[in-house]
Amino acid sequence: MVKQAAGRQKVSHFETIQGRRQALNIINWVLLAAGSILMLSPLWWMLVTSVKTMQEVMTYPPTFWPESWNWSNYMKTWEAAPFDLYTVNTLTITILVVIGNVFVNSFIAYGFAKVPFKGRNVLFAIVLSTMMIPGFVTLIPQYVLFAKLQWLNTYYPLVIPAFFGSAFNIFLLRQFYMTIPDELIEAAKMEGASHFWIWWKIGLPLTKPALATVAIFSFNGAWNDFLGPLLYVNDESLYTLQLGLQVFKGQMSTQWNYLMAGSLLVLLPVIILFFFFQKYFIQGINLQSGGK
Amino acid sequence: MRRFKWVPALLILMLVLSGCNGFTKGGSGAEKADAEAEEGKITLDFWTFWGSEIRRPIIEKIIEDFNNSQDEIEVKHTFIPWGDIWTKELAAIAAGDPPDVVINDINATALRGKNQQAENLSKYLEEDDISGDFYEELWNATLYEGDSYGIPFNTDTRVLFYNKDAFEEAGLDPEQPPKTWDELWEYAEKLDVKDGEKYDRLGFYPMFGVQTDVWMMNADNVNFVDENSEVKINTPAKLDTLEWLNKWHQKYGADNINSWKAQMESQQANPFFSGDLAMLVQTPTFYTQIRDYAPDLNFGVALLPEKEPGNGHTSWGGGFVAEIPAGAENPDASWEFIKYLTSKEAQEYWAVKNFDNVANIEASESAASSDEFNDNGKMVYELAVEAMPLTMLTPTSLVAPDYMTLVNPEFDNVYLGKKTPEQALKDAQAAVEKEISKK
Repeated sequence: MVKQAAGRQKVSHFETIQGRRQALNIINWVLLAAGSILMLSPLWWMLVTSVKTMQEVMTYPPTFWPESWNWSNYMKTWEAAPFDLYTVNTLTITILVVIGNVFVNSFIAYGFAKVPFKGRNVLFAIVLSTMMIPGFVTLIPQYVLFAKLQWLNTYYPLVIPAFFGSAFNIFLLRQFYMTIPDELIEAAKMEGASHFWIWWKIGLPLTKPALATVAIFSFNGAWNDFLGPLLYVNDESLYTLQLGLQVFKGQMSTQWNYLMAGSLLVLLPVIILFFFFQKYFIQGINLQSGGK
Repeated sequence: MRRFKWVPALLILMLVLSGCNGFTKGGSGAEKADAEAEEGKITLDFWTFWGSEIRRPIIEKIIEDFNNSQDEIEVKHTFIPWGDIWTKELAAIAAGDPPDVVINDINATALRGKNQQAENLSKYLEEDDISGDFYEELWNATLYEGDSYGIPFNTDTRVLFYNKDAFEEAGLDPEQPPKTWDELWEYAEKLDVKDGEKYDRLGFYPMFGVQTDVWMMNADNVNFVDENSEVKINTPAKLDTLEWLNKWHQKYGADNINSWKAQMESQQANPFFSGDLAMLVQTPTFYTQIRDYAPDLNFGVALLPEKEPGNGHTSWGGGFVAEIPAGAENPDASWEFIKYLTSKEAQEYWAVKNFDNVANIEASESAASSDEFNDNGKMVYELAVEAMPLTMLTPTSLVAPDYMTLVNPEFDNVYLGKKTPEQALKDAQAAVEKEISKK
């Protein structure tokens, strides 16, 4: 009886529950929209500043809608320094770093996940422990090392390390490999396949989502790297975009409109990348937090 | 082996890329250097942080003039971002591959001499004594144990900018800017326009543009740690200063000051340009911002007011030197270039084109009457030259380079109402003395 009554009650209140849900939805939407606007406002401020005249940037109180949209700022920004060259330079470094990171880390991770050997866990712990050392501690010894190798003022210090594995990416990919059943590897081995072949033919295709994550993170890292090129490159013809942007920042004053225009242009590939690979970005974050 | 056909492809890619810019030592710059070496020229690598579309052409013109003036040395300019240039220089010195000439902070020149990061210039000065060409205060800052480690290039000072229209509105004479601290207070009271708890116009706040330390120098002309490494923080004049500054802080209140300060520090929208702030202490070069961003502003400029009549309009400044990093390959050639950089000709060109204070006295004085400046420009530059001999530098202490990190929190304690000025100065004095005795 009780059950029936409850059931009937539920049916009779169905409308109002749906109404409530709708109301809840609207509240959610409003909250989410407010959150998005909050998150996007710095981007809006960049865009608005990038089209203002310097005189307007300096106006007090600041204007949230520009008096005039000076799109020519973008042209002037691009011409203020050899940004074409900087783009080619940055792309060269970025592409090589992404190639290195994707293949090398995957290869190492496969070894840690699927090839049993003596001392594997100890070695893996050592690799992981390198993550605990802050980059700034190794900065100077690294610089001296590269100087001794005669690599200063070249891209070697920026590119070669990507071909020697990075602990975080190895960890990320190893966790992914752990989800691939050992039976699959065993079966391939029975067929006479070598580990190299298994990695190339089975490992790589199966770990595509994780590889995409690694590729995206490496792209972002190399594209946005400021300290590396700053330290190792001396010749202005080898400068990258991030270094190029610094011409707008002076000791006393900053050309905000050009700086913002330049920053937006440099940010563009990252945004485009985000829209195309949104799925992997989110997956990457899940992997990062250990959710996988 | 068919399945590894990507291996040669990857190798080819690597080879192609290794032919690219950036994978051969030195890139295109090195090829250029080689070409010049064939002609028997010495190439100098000159690092500055002047990359803006305003400053870059000016320094490159000076370099070009030098390159054309002789045929033994070819200077190549490299822009390194402001804020990172000296870190990079230190790394390069440590790696044994420094540039030939670098523009560096004047205040730490003696410290770099002590740490052997810069070349001792005394042997050049013995042959070619140019020390008298520069403001004494600047020259002295470059000395460590009597030897020079850098030649002063550009400099600055602090002066008072004021809004003439606001003066008139408040019934003040726009040609009579405040001369003393008391007048400053009195004028500010008249210039304030209050709307409830908020201000529509702020007369003056001493700690926009400069900090507590500048007013303390203004009061007694003595740095916190003097040249004999004596700590001079807890002095009667500095105590007066802290009390006076605290009075200003209480007058406007932390909320008002913080919201205005945030605006000032954003380096954007400056309330002085819009007339919302009536007086402001700034470097003379601030004039170029008024010229470019607030061309209609009716403004005047004055020496920093003195504590009381006769005390002296002492101001505070900094600047940059041209120096040879330790281990540079061709110090003799570097010296030739530095001599040109700091000569009257190059200095005057820099001063006029940049509207910047320079270290060379003759160049400063002749820049002040340059035809390239309009009336406002001349007014500001003349005052800047007048202020130069009154300007103090605060060279980094050799015994306690970071003592300001001990002193500043004590000043904050006063403004936050946590300590009395007496107590704060006593504690700051004790903290710095302790730091020095540790050495």
